[in-house]
Amino acid sequence: MAAQTLAEAAVSEGNYAVAFPYFGAERRGAPVLAFTRIDSKKIFSKTQVYAPDCVVVLDDSLLDTIDVVAGLKPKGMAIINSREKPEDIDLGKIIDTATVNATSIALEILKAPITNTAILGAFAKATGIIKIESLEESIKRKFGEKLGAKVGERNALAAWTAYERTITGKSRGVKKLEARKQWLPTHQEIPVGGCLIEGKTDAGLIGPGSFIENKVSGWATYRPLRDKAKCTMCLLCWFYCPEGTIVRISDRGDLMTNYDYCKGCGVCANECPVDAIKMVRARI
Amino acid sequence: MKKVITGDHAVAIGAKLCRVEVVPAFPITPQTLIIEHIADFVSDGDLDAKFLTMESEHSVMSAAAGASAAGARVFTATSSQGLAFMHEMLYATAPLRLPVVMANASRTLGGPPGIWCEYNDSMGARDSGWLQLYVEDNQEALDMVIQSFRIAEDKRVLLPVMPCLDGFVLTHTVEPVDIPEQEEVDSFLLPYEPDIILDPKRPAMIGTFMPSEYIMELRRQTAGAFESAKEVIRQINSEFAQKFGRDYGGLIDTYMMEDAHTALITMGTVTSTSREVVDELRRKGEKVGLIKLRFFRPFPSNELKKAVSHISALGVFDRSISYHGGGPVYNEVRSALYGMTMPVINHLAGIGGRDVTKEQIMKMFELTQKAGKGEKVNDISWHNTRGETN
Repeated sequence: MAAQTLAEAAVSEGNYAVAFPYFGAERRGAPVLAFTRIDSKKIFSKTQVYAPDCVVVLDDSLLDTIDVVAGLKPKGMAIINSREKPEDIDLGKIIDTATVNATSIALEILKAPITNTAILGAFAKATGIIKIESLEESIKRKFGEKLGAKVGERNALAAWTAYERTITGKSRGVKKLEARKQWLPTHQEIPVGGCLIEGKTDAGLIGPGSFIENKVSGWATYRPLRDKAKCTMCLLCWFYCPEGTIVRISDRGDLMTNYDYCKGCGVCANECPVDAIKMVRARI
Repeated sequence: MKKVITGDHAVAIGAKLCRVEVVPAFPITPQTLIIEHIADFVSDGDLDAKFLTMESEHSVMSAAAGASAAGARVFTATSSQGLAFMHEMLYATAPLRLPVVMANASRTLGGPPGIWCEYNDSMGARDSGWLQLYVEDNQEALDMVIQSFRIAEDKRVLLPVMPCLDGFVLTHTVEPVDIPEQEEVDSFLLPYEPDIILDPKRPAMIGTFMPSEYIMELRRQTAGAFESAKEVIRQINSEFAQKFGRDYGGLIDTYMMEDAHTALITMGTVTSTSREVVDELRRKGEKVGLIKLRFFRPFPSNELKKAVSHISALGVFDRSISYHGGGPVYNEVRSALYGMTMPVINHLAGIGGRDVTKEQIMKMFELTQKAGKGEKVNDISWHNTRGETN
């Protein structure tokens, strides 16, 4: 939505723009990619962007696992949703960087950790590629059409707030980021028909059970806290957890949440009939 | 043992001799007799298989894929609209490299609905990743079910195979068929032993979501298996010939081609009739020959090139139409022969199950001979079609 909204705003200023996503089969909250190209003339290129002028990171937990600025042009800019100042962010190289705590803004204004409109405000402020007024119109139109005028206005306010709170500076360039290892077999190497049994590669585990390595707690904005005194052990949370992170400890007749795999979706809290589960901020 | 049986019966006996373990089924004319015979074998205790009556062909192929992934030898049969209905699942079976064998009773895919032989049903599945072959008589129908399992389960191939037999012309026609002994088949076709199966004791992921980082390599791998299949088909044909005394030639079969000037490429039962036409023309001193296209997938480009290297004109019979002009076989053949300069013309006949007579086949040869002499003939001829002049 952010990439599309940016494209719409750019077009409203008389430009040509394209925006498109790339994602797998994950649910909301999983890392995804989206691209926007803006030009004064028609854009014919229908390929992904590998050397961007600007990279926007909506979740700074990605900075620990992905070299987000790998393809960034030398004079490019990084815009990061973070509570840190640019100079406290280590991107492995010194580059123009802007930060804003879009999560807090989103929670404050939208009452949900949906940061895509707020981060657009930071983009307008930091790059000057687009006017905040154009973004405001575009957000109101796009979100308003789908979710009602009030939602549109609140999202526009989130963008404006981020615009005002954005800090620009330079990132640090200390840490050595290695490209994330990925299992990329040749057609001779890939198991016949893509059928996998438990296996180990240089890039980690593959096949059944390999997701044990895929700790997703970094995606979580909230995490569940259960009040044992209120809990009646009805097990609805255990039943409804889409990730199976709630484990029954049978000998003690108790439950335990494995936070490594909890995405903070809040289904457990929603289903709990006695309000024993509260969602609390996992990080700021 | 010789028995006078229908093509459908021959296919069912072939499946029984292969000791198939799971048969998901849904009836459709003219395939119905196949699954009825198999149901009889199972209920009479002659075949130890799970016979599953499914609610649709889509479910038939889903069950077939699942059973195969669980390690069973799976057989089924369908036709026409049934094949179309399971189209999606054809694409699940092949790239997952599940060696299911499914007979297709070739039948017009409507509308308007028709029940007689046309190849527009199976031609629609030509790029689904299934091997496809077309038989000319009931003996070949039985023998090719046995060979199909050998080819499908060969570790160099591991692809599903679809033997096609002409609806009614074979399915409902009785002729003598030599039925192999069970022991002979057992020694030719060993039990299916896959490397990876769905087994709770040894978890496996089969057919799970894959992003673009992997699917291209998988397609390339499947394309490689199609290449390997050519040699496997030849080897298994030779082995079968040695054991059972019937040599089908492999990917193609040729008849009177050694000194031929003009040749016709045919498939299915039209090949059978064409053999007699070639004999008649030969008696008149005409140097004609016949190429039987046995496998349509993988397509035997090299075999064809070699077979026609000395002739002056080639006619290609098609029993279905690809709506840019000629039939699908014609276009594959022309593509295979790219660079060769002889005239290659297309003969559309037998569409909608219209009977293909000797006179029509004579006419195909006549037109092809004319083209060979440099006379002007149509690239594409519709035979025995009202309003057309050839």
